[in-house]
Amino acid sequence: MTPARRATIEFLLDNLVWLMLIVVLIVFSLTVPRFFQFGIFANIIEQSTFVGVMAIGLAIVIISGNLDLSVESTAALAAMVTGLLFATQGIGLGIALEPAWLILPVSLAIAMLVGAAVGMANGFFVVRLGMSAFIVTLASFIWVRGLVVAISGGRSAQSLPAAIRVVGTADILGLPLLAWISVGCFVLFSFIMAKTPFGRYVTLVGGNLEATYRAGINSNRILFVSFVLAGLLAGVAGWLLAIRTSGATANLGVGMLFNAFAAVVIGGVSLKGGIGKLPGVYAGVLLLYSIHTAINLMGLPAHYTQMILGALVLAAVLLDTLKLRLREKLL
Amino acid sequence: MSENPPLLKLEAISKNFGAIEALKGVDMEIRAGEVVALLGDNGAGKSTLVKIISGGLRPSSGRIIMEGTPRDFASPAEAKAAGIETVYQDLSLCINADVVANFFMGREITKRFFGIPILQERAMEAVVAKALADAGTRIPSLRTNVEHLSGGQRQAIELNRFVHWGGKLVLLDEPFAALGVEQTRRGLDMIRQVVARGIGVVIITHIMAQAFQVADRIIVIRHGRVAGDVRTDETTPEQVIDMITGGTLSGAGKGRDQGNSSPATGERESSQ
Repeated sequence: MTPARRATIEFLLDNLVWLMLIVVLIVFSLTVPRFFQFGIFANIIEQSTFVGVMAIGLAIVIISGNLDLSVESTAALAAMVTGLLFATQGIGLGIALEPAWLILPVSLAIAMLVGAAVGMANGFFVVRLGMSAFIVTLASFIWVRGLVVAISGGRSAQSLPAAIRVVGTADILGLPLLAWISVGCFVLFSFIMAKTPFGRYVTLVGGNLEATYRAGINSNRILFVSFVLAGLLAGVAGWLLAIRTSGATANLGVGMLFNAFAAVVIGGVSLKGGIGKLPGVYAGVLLLYSIHTAINLMGLPAHYTQMILGALVLAAVLLDTLKLRLREKLL
Repeated sequence: MSENPPLLKLEAISKNFGAIEALKGVDMEIRAGEVVALLGDNGAGKSTLVKIISGGLRPSSGRIIMEGTPRDFASPAEAKAAGIETVYQDLSLCINADVVANFFMGREITKRFFGIPILQERAMEAVVAKALADAGTRIPSLRTNVEHLSGGQRQAIELNRFVHWGGKLVLLDEPFAALGVEQTRRGLDMIRQVVARGIGVVIITHIMAQAFQVADRIIVIRHGRVAGDVRTDETTPEQVIDMITGGTLSGAGKGRDQGNSSPATGERESSQ
């Protein structure tokens, strides 16, 4: 096989999810009525924001060789704290800041802190105490959701001030600001993962922990920071969700974990660790929401969505296995 | 022997794993620019000793003295910072990353932009290409993941890594296990190159011929103790085998608990 052909095949295998996304978009555009319009595409990108931002952190933890099941509850906690402090109705305390725009950075910082705190707790138990990430983050998934219900008393906070809601309503160049935020997050973290020593180490630690330890890399710190990042990004996702819904309810974001996991797996991240790239994860999120949108437009009952998504995750894992075999055969 | 303190000196190093005594007081010295072959039967304590020197394990008692200063390595990172490089028996490569990433693992070339370190891929690739070319190792593409490379190519990367980084002391734990005849010869050449730069080398091997080919001195570990410490040109493979197995044919085993050089001296006299 010539090097050029080999490189082409390698490139296609690495970017299979983008290929799938393009094919799916073309098929939907041709077959689903009213699918092919700018508004729909803009909507898909906007819808992808919340799960997308969450999936970045989840992907980083999985690439480092761990697992974080708690991101959904963490996002809900960040959303509830934002709602509780700044919403003016329901259980909201309606804290007002002077000048009014200050609420934006302050609420974002608080949401990120809340998320990072949960991430640190996860990191402490998994990295320092050596407990199983699956169990630790499953426990967090439960207790953090419990905390959300506890601090809200099961009630909801509504009506965030206009100064902060602008994030959920503004458009830039015809695209919703929310869409730009998710694209921005993906660009930023793709860059960090591909171009900085930290990103390199996350991949190396996920590939062979012992080797990185021997090479003098502080592998425990990398694992810990991955958990903190996952929590922090889940916090941002929750903050965006609170703004979008202008408040928070105790069951906000239920089911996001599954979508984020599906996107990460479809995006080519291996659950074994060490393999996967963030642009692929973004394609995975977009693919997921293209399918959501198409199902909505076709007027299928919503419960079919879950069946299709489940099948899609299976297909993605199957594809991953096939890809490995294909690579072994061809390269 | 010389006015300079030895590169590395171990004093009464012992290591217990629970009730098991893996090392029972090992004394040895390694000087700069010297190759020491560490021999011993399976379970004699060679690998434990290497792990202690490389920072992977801490001794239960005893002192590690490097260039005259006592050291206590809490992690491989600390040993590495002190100039000790290790090539492990089970390779330390991340097969999910490419050749360049593995070569530079933990020592990436970066440039700071606004305080953020950015990997300099091209500069790193050039360094790796030169290092591999100098060593005569051929790898189709430096950007292929290591999982697609053969066992020999993988080991070549490890060996080139230590040649390139060097440091002060290199520990090689069964470095040629996966190599063919030609590659092994090249590996032994690499060791000579490294030594010529004044670096000390400790090589663990099972193959007597390799030890005699490359080492200046042979240290035999038996039952967690130094059973023999002899210059390569003053001994024979048969005598070394006696030390390893504790055989008493030539009286080599007798003195193994008393001191370092007595078995060797005893042997030399009897064989001359």
